[in-house]
Amino acid sequence: MATILLHSIQSEWMKTKRSAAFWLVLIGGVFIPAILTLVHLVYIKKLGKIYSTTPFWEKWLINGWESMSILLVPMGIVLATSLIAQLEYKNNGWKQVHTTPQSLTTVFFAKYIVVLFLMLQLFVLFGLGMYLAGAIPAWYFGHIPYPKEAFPWGKFIQINASFYVMALPIVALQYLLSIQFKNFMVSLGAGVALVVAALIALSWRYVYLIPYTYGAIHFLQLQGKMRFKSNILDVHYLALIYFFAFTLLSYILYLTKKEKG
Amino acid sequence: MYCIETTHLSHQFALGKNILDDINLQVPTGSIYGFLGPNGAGKTTTLRLILGLLKKQKGEIRIFGQSLAENRVAILRKLGSLIETPSLYGHLTAAENLLLLQKIYQCPKSRIPEVLALVGLPDTANKKVSQFSLGMKQRLSIAVALLNQPNLLILDEPTNGLDPNGIIEMRELLKRLNQEHQITILISSHLLAEIEKLVTHVGIIHKGQLLFEGTLPDLVHKQQESSRVSLITNDNTRSLQLLKTLQPEAQQQNGKLLLPLLPPERIAQLNRQLVQSGIDVYHLAVEKNDLESIFMELVNN
Repeated sequence: MATILLHSIQSEWMKTKRSAAFWLVLIGGVFIPAILTLVHLVYIKKLGKIYSTTPFWEKWLINGWESMSILLVPMGIVLATSLIAQLEYKNNGWKQVHTTPQSLTTVFFAKYIVVLFLMLQLFVLFGLGMYLAGAIPAWYFGHIPYPKEAFPWGKFIQINASFYVMALPIVALQYLLSIQFKNFMVSLGAGVALVVAALIALSWRYVYLIPYTYGAIHFLQLQGKMRFKSNILDVHYLALIYFFAFTLLSYILYLTKKEKG
Repeated sequence: MYCIETTHLSHQFALGKNILDDINLQVPTGSIYGFLGPNGAGKTTTLRLILGLLKKQKGEIRIFGQSLAENRVAILRKLGSLIETPSLYGHLTAAENLLLLQKIYQCPKSRIPEVLALVGLPDTANKKVSQFSLGMKQRLSIAVALLNQPNLLILDEPTNGLDPNGIIEMRELLKRLNQEHQITILISSHLLAEIEKLVTHVGIIHKGQLLFEGTLPDLVHKQQESSRVSLITNDNTRSLQLLKTLQPEAQQQNGKLLLPLLPPERIAQLNRQLVQSGIDVYHLAVEKNDLESIFMELVNN
């Protein structure tokens, strides 16, 4: 079973090669680091002071997460998951996939794992991009000191992993919408609407009910600026509960779908 | 032994309207089975049910003697298919499209150039599929269906988009696959003329009902049965009276006198009788229905 799933994942991964989703993840991952690098180049004279403060790296990474957590990651997930499912709809691929000797469970999870892996790739690229965007000015310009502290790899991974967990409910719900509806606009439209609703809901008392807000909530919590506390559970657990619930729902809907291509 | 057997297969898309009505299909192992019917007859729905792409509502489907519902994965391992439009990823090359299926089937990688050569696309391995013509995509889809060396090929209108030369080549390829590799082929079409030179067995479906199923000779026999002798004379009423005394099945239809197909000597004898009775015979001919007419007759009735 595991071998069949592995082969299926390899096959699904190959489909993303040169696809729009692949380029989206690649560009999405390095977008903010590239912007921050450009900003650095503009304010090059002020960098010496910024690089002398400690801790530098943690602040630097959280700074990068500002736009990523609130807007870019949710939007990236909405687009990338829709594009992955559209690979099948656009190329009439579902009927081919469903006539290969794989169980429906294998097909569902192979594609899902590829989507989750693509998102992981986005986070890894972002992390590496942030490191390079932080380090390059110090390496390149003599008057900018390299941060005194050792690079906090553990903290760096922990922060990125936390944001990844926050993104999981969005991935799950967008995957559900993308494979259920042939029309690209349904998953895309619903995703954009939910991202916008999440932005509005940030000042709402019951904001924790909306999983699309979790990335932003986590960012505000890290900044100590979150207005409301969750009365139920920590936002990490809430994200995981939503993720498993949406995954289960998506799996059941997929299995019971009457037409499979 | 039947490679595919459906029993009382029925399907509805909307409540109360049967798209398929009690289809009992029997595709013998080793045959090339032509599944014929006009557009909207239920061919694709039947094939999609056989492949498990549609959830079965009523009836039973057995492939290689096994129930599809219980042995779906094992059956699909020995099957290749092409349903309607090609299922190919345009952003990938021809070889990459085959490679991603090779991963699933775990067949040797050497099959990729083999099947490309088999369908006449040996030099296109590294070309992106989005740059392919419809005919090339159709050929590549056949290559995809052949990748796992299947025992059964299910092809839904595979000649769509092919030029006349391509259609002939496809026909030869399918014949070769059937004869040299003993692959059973179920091929659907709405044109009898297109597949009558290829198939050994025929099933004709119309408005969700299987109107005919049998060998091609059975269909030819049906054609002979429906052949008639037709006459036009200067006095059809008197001719009919006379003919009825000699050949009771005689009848008049659309200004013609019609008789069942008779031996040539008997036709000559009837003609002589008419002439000797002072009737001028303007037209005397054997009307042979071609297979297409039989198909149309079955469908229209």
